[in-house]
Amino acid sequence: MPLLELQHSLISALFQRDQLAEAAKRVKAQGSLSSEQRVGIYRNSAHGILLDCLESLYPVCFELVGTEFFGRTAHNFIDQAPPTSPFLADYGAGFVNHLAEHPALQEMLWIVEVAKLEWARHAAWHTVNQVASDFAQLEGLSEAQQAELRFQLPASAHLISSNTSIHSIWLAHQEEYPEKPQFEKIDLQEAQQVLLFREQRRLHQTTLSTDDWAFLQAIQQQLSMGELAEQFADQLPWLFSVAMQEGWIYSFTTTPPA
Amino acid sequence: MTPNPILGCGIGLRFQHIDQILADKPPIPWLEILSDNYLTPGSVQQDYAIEIAQHYPVTLHGVGMSLGATEPFNDEYFQRLKALADQLHPAWISDHLCWTSAHGWVSHDLLPLPYTEETIKHVVQRIREAQDRLERRLVIENVSSYLQYQESALTEWEFITAVAEEADCKLLLDVNNIYVSAFNHDFDPCRYLDSIPIERVQQFHLAGYEDKGTHLLDTHGHPVSDSVWGLYKLALQRFGALPTLIEWDNNIPSLEELLAEAHKATEAHIHAFA
Repeated sequence: MPLLELQHSLISALFQRDQLAEAAKRVKAQGSLSSEQRVGIYRNSAHGILLDCLESLYPVCFELVGTEFFGRTAHNFIDQAPPTSPFLADYGAGFVNHLAEHPALQEMLWIVEVAKLEWARHAAWHTVNQVASDFAQLEGLSEAQQAELRFQLPASAHLISSNTSIHSIWLAHQEEYPEKPQFEKIDLQEAQQVLLFREQRRLHQTTLSTDDWAFLQAIQQQLSMGELAEQFADQLPWLFSVAMQEGWIYSFTTTPPA
Repeated sequence: MTPNPILGCGIGLRFQHIDQILADKPPIPWLEILSDNYLTPGSVQQDYAIEIAQHYPVTLHGVGMSLGATEPFNDEYFQRLKALADQLHPAWISDHLCWTSAHGWVSHDLLPLPYTEETIKHVVQRIREAQDRLERRLVIENVSSYLQYQESALTEWEFITAVAEEADCKLLLDVNNIYVSAFNHDFDPCRYLDSIPIERVQQFHLAGYEDKGTHLLDTHGHPVSDSVWGLYKLALQRFGALPTLIEWDNNIPSLEELLAEAHKATEAHIHAFA
C-alpha cells in the first residue's frame, strides 16, 4: 500500500476512534496485543501529549473542573480539533470556545472566563520581543508631530474585561502567592478588568480601575494625544503618569494609524 | 563560528531547570535543546536558549521535521529551525526517523514507518532535502515503536542502516528505544546494536520506560532501567565513548537528580574502558 494511504489511515485513527479498526488492518498482531490495541497505544500516546499540553495551558481550569471532567472534555476537543501546525505553542486556543459550548458549564461560564485569561497569558508569553521607545525623544517633537503623537501598549498586552472575578480566581490557585485570596471567599459575580503583559521574562497581570481601563483602551484604539486630552481632560496627566510608571505604555509613534 | 565540542554525558534542557542553570552555572558537559520549544523568532523562549548556548555546548533536537511524511515539508518550520541554529551554533541538529504529519494533521507523536525498500527511497530523499535546507548533515534517531506494519519486509536495523548510508546522515542511537522496541516486537537488541555501522553513530540517548504489562512504553518519566544500562554498556564497547544524553520529559526530577543520572552514564564510560 502506498505510504500516503497508510499514513492517512493511521493518523485518522489517532483522532477518530471509529477509524481504529480500519488502521489496524495494516498492522501485525503480535503477542498478547491485537493490531487494534497496538494502534490504540498510539492514539492514547498522541492524545496524552496533547492533553498534557492543554493541562499546561489551562492549569487553573484544570483545578476548577477536576481531572476527570478536564480529561474527558480535552479528549473530545482533541478529536474535534486535531493539531494542524508543527508548532505546539499554536495549539489549544480553540479549547476556550469548546468549554464555552459545553452543556455542563452553561451555569458556570466564569470558568470559561478564566480559560480566556489563561490563553491570554500563554499568548503574551510567546509574543515576539519589541524594542521600547526612547521617551526622551518626546521633547524634540515638532508641533505637527505632537498633533499625531500616539502611544502604544506593549505588544504582548491583553486588556480583558470580564463579568467575573477572573484575576482573583486565578490568584487563588497560585501556589507562589502567600497572600492569595481564599477561593471560597471570592465573589464570582464581581466584574474585573485585567491588564496582562510581558516585560522581558516576567508576566504582569493586574486589575485596573474603571478610569485606567478606559484610558488604556483609548491608547489601544490609537487615539492621538489631542483626542486623549479631549476625552480625559484634567485626569489625563494623572492617568498618563500612572501608565508610564507601571510600564503599561511601551512605545509611541508620530505616524497616523493606517 | 565553530560550535563548542560535545563531549561526555549531558542532559536535555527542560524549562523547569533553566533559571537554576543560568543562575548557578553548574558544570554540565553539554545540553540538548528541544528545538520545537524555541522556534518563535525573537521570543523570550529564544532568549533563554541563546543565553544557555552562551554558557554551554548545545545540540538541537527536534520532533517536528516529519522526515518520513508524504506531505511536503513545512517551509516555515525549516526556516525557523535554520534561523535558530544560526543563532545558537549547535554542534549538530537531530530529529527522528519517523513521521508526525499527514492529511493536514500533526500528531506531535513519533509514528513509525513501514520498513520497505520503497520507504527507504522516500526517506532518503527527504533527509537529503532536509540537510540541504538546513545546510548541515543531520543526525537521525531511532524511535521506540508499538506496532509493525503488515508490509514491512526489513528489520528496523536493516532499515535504519540503509537510510543512514544512502542519505549520508549520522545516527543518534536511543538505547532505551532499542530496548523498548526489542521487547515490544520480540527481537534481540544486541543483534540490533551489532548491525549498525560504527562510523555512522554520533550520539546515544538514554531514558526511562514504563512497564505496562503487555508492552513497554517509552515515557521518559523514570530513571534509566538496569536492563537499559546493561545494553548501554554493550553499545559503549561497540561504538566507543560517544556523547550521551539523559532524556527526562515527564515527572521531571530536580536538576540535581537529573545530573546524578548523567553522572551514572559518565561512570559507565569510565568503566567500559578501564
